[in-house]
Amino acid sequence: MIDLDTFLSQLVVGLFRGSLYWILAAGLTLIFGVTRILNFAHAAILVTGSYITYTIYVSTGSYVLAFLGAIIACGLLGAVTEVLLIRRVYGLDPLYQLLLTFGVTLVVNEAQKLVWGKGSVYVPTPEMLRGGVAVGAVTVSYYTVFVVIVGFLLLLALHYFINMTMMGLRLRAVWRDPVMSEVLGLNPKNYYTLVFFLGSAIAGLGGALLIPAITVGPGLGDHLIVLAFIVVVLAGLGNIVGSYITALAIGVTWSLLTLVTPELDIVILYLISALILMVRPQGLFGER
Amino acid sequence: MALDRRDFLKLLAAGVGGFVVGTALGYAAKPSEVREVLREVTVTATTPVERKLPKATVRIGVLGIRSGLWATYGEFIEQGARMAAEEINARGGILGSRVELVFRDEQADVVKQARELVDVEGVDFIVGIDSSGNAMRVGGIVDELAKPLIVTHAATHRLTEELVYKQGKKLIFRTSVPVYQDGILAAYIAKDLPVRKWAGINGDYEFGRVSWQLFQETLKKLRPDVEFVAEQWPKFGTEDFRPFISALLASDAEALFTSIWAIELVTLQRQLVEMGGYRKFKAVISTLGYSMDVAYALGKDYPVAELGTWVSGRYIWLYPPTSINKEFVDRFKSRWGKLPAYSSETTYAAIYLIKAALEEAVTLDPDAVAKAMEGMLLLTPAGVRWIRPEDHQAVYEVPYGRIAHKGAEVPLLDDLKAVPAQMYYRHPPFT
Repeated sequence: MIDLDTFLSQLVVGLFRGSLYWILAAGLTLIFGVTRILNFAHAAILVTGSYITYTIYVSTGSYVLAFLGAIIACGLLGAVTEVLLIRRVYGLDPLYQLLLTFGVTLVVNEAQKLVWGKGSVYVPTPEMLRGGVAVGAVTVSYYTVFVVIVGFLLLLALHYFINMTMMGLRLRAVWRDPVMSEVLGLNPKNYYTLVFFLGSAIAGLGGALLIPAITVGPGLGDHLIVLAFIVVVLAGLGNIVGSYITALAIGVTWSLLTLVTPELDIVILYLISALILMVRPQGLFGER
Repeated sequence: MALDRRDFLKLLAAGVGGFVVGTALGYAAKPSEVREVLREVTVTATTPVERKLPKATVRIGVLGIRSGLWATYGEFIEQGARMAAEEINARGGILGSRVELVFRDEQADVVKQARELVDVEGVDFIVGIDSSGNAMRVGGIVDELAKPLIVTHAATHRLTEELVYKQGKKLIFRTSVPVYQDGILAAYIAKDLPVRKWAGINGDYEFGRVSWQLFQETLKKLRPDVEFVAEQWPKFGTEDFRPFISALLASDAEALFTSIWAIELVTLQRQLVEMGGYRKFKAVISTLGYSMDVAYALGKDYPVAELGTWVSGRYIWLYPPTSINKEFVDRFKSRWGKLPAYSSETTYAAIYLIKAALEEAVTLDPDAVAKAMEGMLLLTPAGVRWIRPEDHQAVYEVPYGRIAHKGAEVPLLDDLKAVPAQMYYRHPPFT
């Protein structure tokens, strides 16, 4: 019999996990929505964000600088990748895009090994977010709650940016109809670069949030990208609100399944995903 | 001055005579422990022609995980192999033949890599292998490869019990202690702890399952009053353990057993602290908790449970306290800048096992070399290793200890507990 405390702590832990998936999926789905590129290298960029957070934190001791540094550096990394490489494969068969971004992933992974070594690194949880609330035998740390809140704020910010600002309106124009928006004087190329900057900056934020919570090593992105794709595809490609709900649902379902059927948790999760896609190939919330 | 045949023979006779007299005098004067060495030198000097290998280089293929999150383990294997090869070559090689190493990533289809090592690179031996699954795959084709395989990390007992002992694949050896260390010896530590209810969190793959099973079986025999109240099975590559920990904390367990390793263990330990695991569990046994990557990564944050965080590995750098081990640790530190990881030592030992076997067999014929390895006693940093003839498993002991912070570059261990290897290893016929 599961008591309420256990259920609650499992729920919060699931929301935390879901929020990390969401932050990872947010940039991925934003980039796909506008540019129609499935960026396989997205998680590798996120992990680079973790490493940059680590380096800045170790040398300055400041979380704020480390977080900002990771966000900006990853944004720039994404933008440079778009300008130098991705730009050449717009409109081509998705296979070329996957191959190219997979190649970028390999380069980024190897570069991580060269710069930061093969061992694992982490940074401690920020002082003011240490400790937590006891829910039964489990301490739900403030940091866990912090990540859930940041995830929600990111959703609000993206929603506001896309739907309520002039820049967002232009972005939506390029998103919906690149040809017509070009006729109206918008240069889609600039917006593609912008969206790669934004999506990768969100990955940088994810990386910064990740490294105090888990341990980071080279190639961690390869493990994360699979779940990010599951979230994005289940939600419906390019659907931002849908991705948020799906990510949280996956996090919570997984967490509760771990409690009930620890042997089969992931099997059941994949089974549910497969069933959903059989019934709704366009995803739960539809493509945008 | 030109020598004719007669003069040459005279000189030779005088030289040999002088050598024998000198040796005999030296032999009488030297303390007993040096005599073994002197005898060997005498044998070498009198039969120089036969004691040469048929090739000028002995090529050794080295497999390890060299990509992804566990790449650091391939590096450990490489460091041990390189150091041994450098030392051997600096002293004239193996019977005059140089040692050459060829490294391959076992993550890139290990069977293909093993075949290429033999067919393309022409290696005479294969050493290394981190993953149990990979060790079984290469072990399965060892007769086809027709080269001795010395496993230095993968821990499944099936490699030596099934492939060598039951199926008679006589080319397979292992210099690292198998899962007996994780499952059986851990139970010897657990039996003395004043706790009754245990929980387990182990990887959802062969190694994780076998260590938890052996731990439970052994502990139940040693302490029939214990109970196993919760278990969790995170998959290989789990990056967040919070849901599993939360579920374990919901049980009434008093102590925790885990064979999770490497980067995953670093995360598990940190999240256990964060979620109150170290308030709930009075004792924690972490079978690979003293792997150097984990010790360095956690450093001063390595959590200590009330009754101890008990950790081990397949060799730990501070045991045994012999000069051989101390010198190895010092040399390793100055060569690589860090304390030796266990698989560095086990691979280092494997290269020296090859050297010893070749010096005995004086041929590269795989069967003859394997025969020479059987039953061999080898003095290594981890102590005396005996290559058990029946299953080709190196028998040596590795202790457990409690994590203690003493301001060193890594946490140290208190209360080292060693059990004679003969007591905790499984023995043929493995029933």
